[in-house]
Amino acid sequence: MEMIFAGLLDSISPASLMFVFIGVAVGVLIGAIPGINGPMAIALFIPVTYYMSPLTAIGFLVGLNKGAFFGGAVSAVLLRTPGTPEAAATAWDGYPLTQQGKGEKALRMALYSSVAGDFISTVVLILIAAPLAAVALFMGPAEIFALISLALTVIAGIGTSSILRGLVAAGFGILIGLIGTEPVTALPRLTFDVYQLGSGLSLIPVAIGLLAFSEILLQLEKITGKGGAERAATEFSSKLEDRLLPFKEFFASIKTLLRGSLIGIGVGAMPGLGAPVASFMSYDQAMKRSPHKEEFGKGRLEGIAASESANSSVVAASLIPLFVLGIPGNLAAAMLMGAFMIHGMQPGPLLFKENAQLMYGIYGSLLLASLFLLVVGRFGLRYFCKAVNIPSMILYPIVVFTCVMGAYLGKSSMFDVGVMLTFGFIGYFMRKFDYSYVAFLIGFILAPEWERSLQQVVIISEYDTFMFFQRPVAMVLMALTLFVVVRTFWNSIIAGRKKRLDAAAAAGVHKGD
Amino acid sequence: MTRIKRDSIAYLFVIGFSIFMLVWAIPNYTPDYPGYGASAALVPVVAVSVMLLMAVISLITIGIAVYTNKPLPVEESEFPEDLEDESGFTQVGRVKLYHLASIMIPGVLLVVVIEYIGYELASFAFLMLLQYAIGSRKWVQSTILSIVLTAVLYIVMRYGFGVPVPGPQVFS
Repeated sequence: MEMIFAGLLDSISPASLMFVFIGVAVGVLIGAIPGINGPMAIALFIPVTYYMSPLTAIGFLVGLNKGAFFGGAVSAVLLRTPGTPEAAATAWDGYPLTQQGKGEKALRMALYSSVAGDFISTVVLILIAAPLAAVALFMGPAEIFALISLALTVIAGIGTSSILRGLVAAGFGILIGLIGTEPVTALPRLTFDVYQLGSGLSLIPVAIGLLAFSEILLQLEKITGKGGAERAATEFSSKLEDRLLPFKEFFASIKTLLRGSLIGIGVGAMPGLGAPVASFMSYDQAMKRSPHKEEFGKGRLEGIAASESANSSVVAASLIPLFVLGIPGNLAAAMLMGAFMIHGMQPGPLLFKENAQLMYGIYGSLLLASLFLLVVGRFGLRYFCKAVNIPSMILYPIVVFTCVMGAYLGKSSMFDVGVMLTFGFIGYFMRKFDYSYVAFLIGFILAPEWERSLQQVVIISEYDTFMFFQRPVAMVLMALTLFVVVRTFWNSIIAGRKKRLDAAAAAGVHKGD
Repeated sequence: MTRIKRDSIAYLFVIGFSIFMLVWAIPNYTPDYPGYGASAALVPVVAVSVMLLMAVISLITIGIAVYTNKPLPVEESEFPEDLEDESGFTQVGRVKLYHLASIMIPGVLLVVVIEYIGYELASFAFLMLLQYAIGSRKWVQSTILSIVLTAVLYIVMRYGFGVPVPGPQVFS
């Protein structure tokens, strides 16, 4: 109990309050800019957190992520260009409202739904993470090895249409994550006699290159020579009924909002699915259950509530597997895991035992971030709307230069800038060739822990290859891994066959013409 | 180039890279087995083998489809334009090498020359080149942005974080 109060008190220290607030405000601003999302913002700002205390750093990054999730709705509603992938469903009903002059009302609905979803999800995280972590403490190296194997297999399917390419990307991420000092011999491995590689590749330049720089390379491709982005309609109707969101109208969507939050929590707690899935699933459910199905997609507030409550509730829920098992459920959680590691902590069940005060401090910061999101969004909405109109010729040089100097900042080394550029180049091709950079990054982050647990299993079991059969949980997890692989292959075979049949049918129709 | 051809080239590249790693890089740049635990080469070999296996399976699948002349899904037989999947995650499209080079070359030059001419001049030149590469022809705006950005990050690094700026200091 003492720990809980001490942690919560830490979270309301002036420095912590200030950085959580700044994180939320910057997050909303960044999320509002099309093409810049939460994980990308975390990658860009992790170097800044080097100079903060662990609690302030994590609070700032969590605030940034929460803010970016709502910020994505701003450009979705005003431009029909979602600032983040998870805001795509918000655009379906938000943009028609903007066309009717009700953009501010739509954004208010998005804000209140985001805050509600986020708050509910944070409370669930607080209630269940610690008890689950206590159970997870009984897991040994065999279980951890099996769990990481399962996570890597599940995550291989994210961000690509092919599980095979996802596994190639995960394998490549593991390989790159193994560069550096080998844990058993303490000798350099795969360093190619480059002394800077002796301590391995830092997460910061790799993440900035893969997440931010490669994305900017792709976005610049679209705008180069085209004179910049479409301008948003930031002029709102002056009529009060078009601007404000009365409690009655908000309350009419309360069921949808609660359902969306629960969907978001369920999806977020499962590694590998992510906010876009939650958002689309919630929107689909809201539409199916509504007596006004025909109004969806034409400017129905319920549609915005469904999408925003679900995607925002994923933020805190995705921390459940991270805090309980040390497995990042999505890209944002992977980046936060990196931030924990930079500050000398290994996310997982031991965190509650070894850093209990810090964990309760983080809980406090999570709750405060929800409150700040409401305040920042409520009073700054009109200003954030202007962010979507920043000319690309000004925005992109700023982002590129921030990538370069962000990579430098970590170790004050230009070598890391070179690493960032290299992974930006690799990331560009991975995106073009449909190889999952998400699987790569999670493989890269989990590789050392995966190898460490394997080494421990080998040493503890004295080379007994049947050790997994003596550990029921590990055996179940390995069986699940195998099941996921087989099921995914089977599904892709069925989907491929269906596609070919459709193609053959289409070709037949054309011949008939 | 169709997506099938492009994927095949990528798989061949992955196969070539995996063979290079398995045959040369891992044996030469991995510590010897110390006599306990698992070999230092085990996990790298497993990771590369997974890459190799997946690429081979993918290539065989494509080969069978082409050899048996099975009709390919419509979107795979068309020229891939810039597409975004439903989640907005993966963008698939034509590789624009000229564009890529126009952004990457200033970056590489920055890394190389910053050690000789200092942060201030190198950053200014990098930003000017970058803005030219992305199509900005407003010289006054480009110059002001380059100077302001260089100065702001200089102040943030030097006085905000106390980090030494890279290269020799021109204006210190």
